[in-house]
Amino acid sequence: MSNDSLDLLKGTLDVLVLKALIWGPRHGYAVARWIEDITNGTLQVEEGALYHALHRLEKRGWLTSEWGVSDANRRAKYYALNAVGRKQLAAQTASWTRYAEAVFAALRTT
Amino acid sequence: MSGGRQREPALPHGIRRVFRLATRRTPIDSDIDDEIAFHLEMHAAELVARRGLTPAAAHEEALRRFGDTHQWRRTMSAIDREHAMQRRRLEWLEDLWQDLRYGARSALRTPLFSLLAIITLALGIGANAAVFGVVKSVLLDALPYADADRLVRLYGREIDGPMARAPLSAGTIADLDTRQRSFTHVAAFESQARDAIFEGDAGPRVLKAGYAEPALFATLGTPVALGRALRDDDAVGDTAYSVVLTHELWEKLFASDAGAVGRQIRVNGIPRTVVGVLPRGFVGPVSDVELYLPLNLQALLRDPVRARRQQNYGVVARLKPGVDAAVAQREVVAFAADLAREHPLYDSRSTMRVIPVREDMVGDTRTPLLVLMASAGLVLVITCANLAGALLSRAISRRREFAVRVAIGAGQGRLVRQLLTESMVLAIAGGAAGVLLALGGLAILRRLALRALPAYADLSLDLGALLVTAVLALATGLAFGVVPAFSVSRASVEGGILRDESRGISESRRSRYLRGVLVAGQIALCVSLLAGAGLLARSLWAMTAAPLGLLPGGILTVAVELPRRSYSGAQARVRFIDQYEARLRALPGVIGVATTGALPTRVNAHNEFSPAHLPPSTANRPLALYSTVSDDYFRTLGIPVHDGRAFGPEDRLDGPPAIIITQSMARRWWPNGDAVGSGIRLDPEPGAPPMTIVGVVGDVRHDPARAEPEPELYMSIRQAPWNGPVFLLRTRGDPLALLPAARRELAEVDRSVPVRDAGTLEAIVSDRFSARRLPVMLMTAFGALALMLASVGVYAMFASMAAAREREFGVRIALGASRRAIATLVLVQGGVWMLVGLVAGAGGIAVVARAVRGLLYGVQPFDAMTLAAVVLTLIACGTLALLGPVRRATRVDPISVLR
Repeated sequence: MSNDSLDLLKGTLDVLVLKALIWGPRHGYAVARWIEDITNGTLQVEEGALYHALHRLEKRGWLTSEWGVSDANRRAKYYALNAVGRKQLAAQTASWTRYAEAVFAALRTT
Repeated sequence: MSGGRQREPALPHGIRRVFRLATRRTPIDSDIDDEIAFHLEMHAAELVARRGLTPAAAHEEALRRFGDTHQWRRTMSAIDREHAMQRRRLEWLEDLWQDLRYGARSALRTPLFSLLAIITLALGIGANAAVFGVVKSVLLDALPYADADRLVRLYGREIDGPMARAPLSAGTIADLDTRQRSFTHVAAFESQARDAIFEGDAGPRVLKAGYAEPALFATLGTPVALGRALRDDDAVGDTAYSVVLTHELWEKLFASDAGAVGRQIRVNGIPRTVVGVLPRGFVGPVSDVELYLPLNLQALLRDPVRARRQQNYGVVARLKPGVDAAVAQREVVAFAADLAREHPLYDSRSTMRVIPVREDMVGDTRTPLLVLMASAGLVLVITCANLAGALLSRAISRRREFAVRVAIGAGQGRLVRQLLTESMVLAIAGGAAGVLLALGGLAILRRLALRALPAYADLSLDLGALLVTAVLALATGLAFGVVPAFSVSRASVEGGILRDESRGISESRRSRYLRGVLVAGQIALCVSLLAGAGLLARSLWAMTAAPLGLLPGGILTVAVELPRRSYSGAQARVRFIDQYEARLRALPGVIGVATTGALPTRVNAHNEFSPAHLPPSTANRPLALYSTVSDDYFRTLGIPVHDGRAFGPEDRLDGPPAIIITQSMARRWWPNGDAVGSGIRLDPEPGAPPMTIVGVVGDVRHDPARAEPEPELYMSIRQAPWNGPVFLLRTRGDPLALLPAARRELAEVDRSVPVRDAGTLEAIVSDRFSARRLPVMLMTAFGALALMLASVGVYAMFASMAAAREREFGVRIALGASRRAIATLVLVQGGVWMLVGLVAGAGGIAVVARAVRGLLYGVQPFDAMTLAAVVLTLIACGTLALLGPVRRATRVDPISVLR
């Protein structure tokens, strides 16, 4: 990733992580795979950054975490959205959409 | 569920500690490791499955894709650590909140006890807060000057005489200015404020004017609030046309109008310009000055004799950096010695001294204040001991409750914390109430103590004092809470409490012992406090009871100020005095009228004298108080004439000057009894003719703190009429009722003469005692409070002892013991502790007596009567307190107790 798109990515990463968890608790690896799959490989997250985001969002109080057992019977840390996180997701989705539409509208004109 | 810590198995203490030593990584870090490891494994497995890499290559690829593992690990660890700390803090706060609510609930469960506890705490903490507020503003706060620690006052001092802080002469100051090397600034000012007549719209009024060299403001370093301070060129002429107002006067005269600067006011008939206003809270070295006029010291030097003879200037100086007061003192003493050699006529009997300004202003209020603070502290300690004992009993009666809580899993530490919180809740509530009490008390004090404390003292609770009070409240809560908390927690751990013991309160031996110690301590402290209060009270009584030498009852005083313009000549003043006296005599109910230059107890002019029959000497010339009085003065005030006569019409303005002296003075210097008719010299000039003594009158004690009256001499007001005469009217009824009539008559004589001051002589005389009265009143109040607390403590101790042994008494009675035997048992058990307290109190008395020795008057520090009274009072109160419980103990019904 080039440098100027990195900063943009941090905020974007947060909203993607929140979205990833809306269907239920997931562990970090599942979140990473989901982001890659759903964006068709366009967005490839540096995985360390992803885990950083997960811990950061937990500290901020938007996620909760719990150690559980994965499909493969391995010990894994699962993250889940809480009520505050859900509200944040809605808010950030709305503002991100507005932002993207505005930029898109500007770039579309000839 | 938040957090990822696993529950560790509950192992006994020692083994867990060993295990903790063995692990190197914290739970947080090992969790992060696990999380990352899981991710890498999953990723590697996917790479093997999807892209067919070898496990090793897959692992490497996964690692590479992850990023800088080490750095991410560190970052995440930091985040998680902060998170954990946040959660711990929150938990701690929640626990605290729970404890507080629990404490409040249990306080409300015993409302009467809690109310009493809070009241006693409020009294104890409030008293300390108030006293600390006073101590802080008098002893600790900064003076309203720049760098006040470098400022000193210079005084003259009699080498072997009583005057310890004498004003200096203009000549001395001029010489000091040229020769000194210790000071950066030296400024002189008249050491007493002058009464000046201000002609305002509402008529003439009297203001206190202070003449000061313009350098005073630079020396003190105080900025002005408006305009400018006085400048050197303001003092050049012989008349002062520029004035500087104090903040209070500016508020009074100009209603805080900023346009006051530049306006003119008429003072003593001369229009003067207001050039500046001083800041709020500024108090000069002469505290009652309301406006400052420039003093021209050089002009005074034109008359070299007067410049040396009249000593009425004070000096403030600023020490040079690096010079301290001791060094300055040495220089000043050497300078005074030089001066004594150069001007033996005036300066031979005095030296000089340097006193730091704060010490000068604090004066002798330091010791009484510290004694008060110690007393307040003692009361608080007694309060703590009292409450500790009470809570101890209560905690013991709650042992069941605590045992149950321990059984269901509360840690011992938690229990202790809870008990402490309960006492903290009481202490905080008591502290808040105490602050309110203190604020009220200080408001009252401000009104009462105006003269007793230095003028700059603010007497309020500022932020610092409030903080100290808060800390005090918390410390108090800890102090009386810690003993019950720890005693009970230990008892509840030592098992077996859930066994059904005797109902209610059964005290262990240790807690009974503790209780007794607390009560003994209270008694000891109370005895000490009462002893101090008693000694001081007796001193005050001795002081006020000693005869004044005159009869102050029923006398109205009216002080007027004669404008200098119209009363520049002595004849005009004498005429005024005669006219006004005649009118006053005609008023109904007036038995006698007199005039004087200075009221009794307010005489402060001194004059040197030497009896004519002794050879004139320049050294050791004694000083006498000096005042001028009218013919009827001695008769009106009830001062007996022992020899010769009082003043009369034969002492005319142009006639030979007549002097009347007091009896002690006559006895001392004319031991042969031949004072009347002898000569006395007031003028130190050799060759000046002596004046004749025409009479000897009784002594008047002007200073209540002195055991012996000072020598005093009087001149007829007809021969030396001052321009601020005070008229005294003796009446049969209420003196104040005559005041409106006196004012009317004054206006009839001359409308331009204002009344400077008016009041009854009794009020003025008792005012002198106010400085002494205040600490005594406060200490007596503290003593009474301590007595009350100690009595309550004794009562509670006996009550709980008796209740604890109720069963035993029932058995004894059933077995035939007499009521008296039971009573004796209880008395002996508790009486031992009271005795211990009294004995310990004896030691306390010794300490207290030594501490207040300097404040005593007319009574020895170990005065038997006072101490006996104190001990008896305590025994009496203690006996009253224990009567109830002892009676109840003897009335125990054996049947109901033994069931």
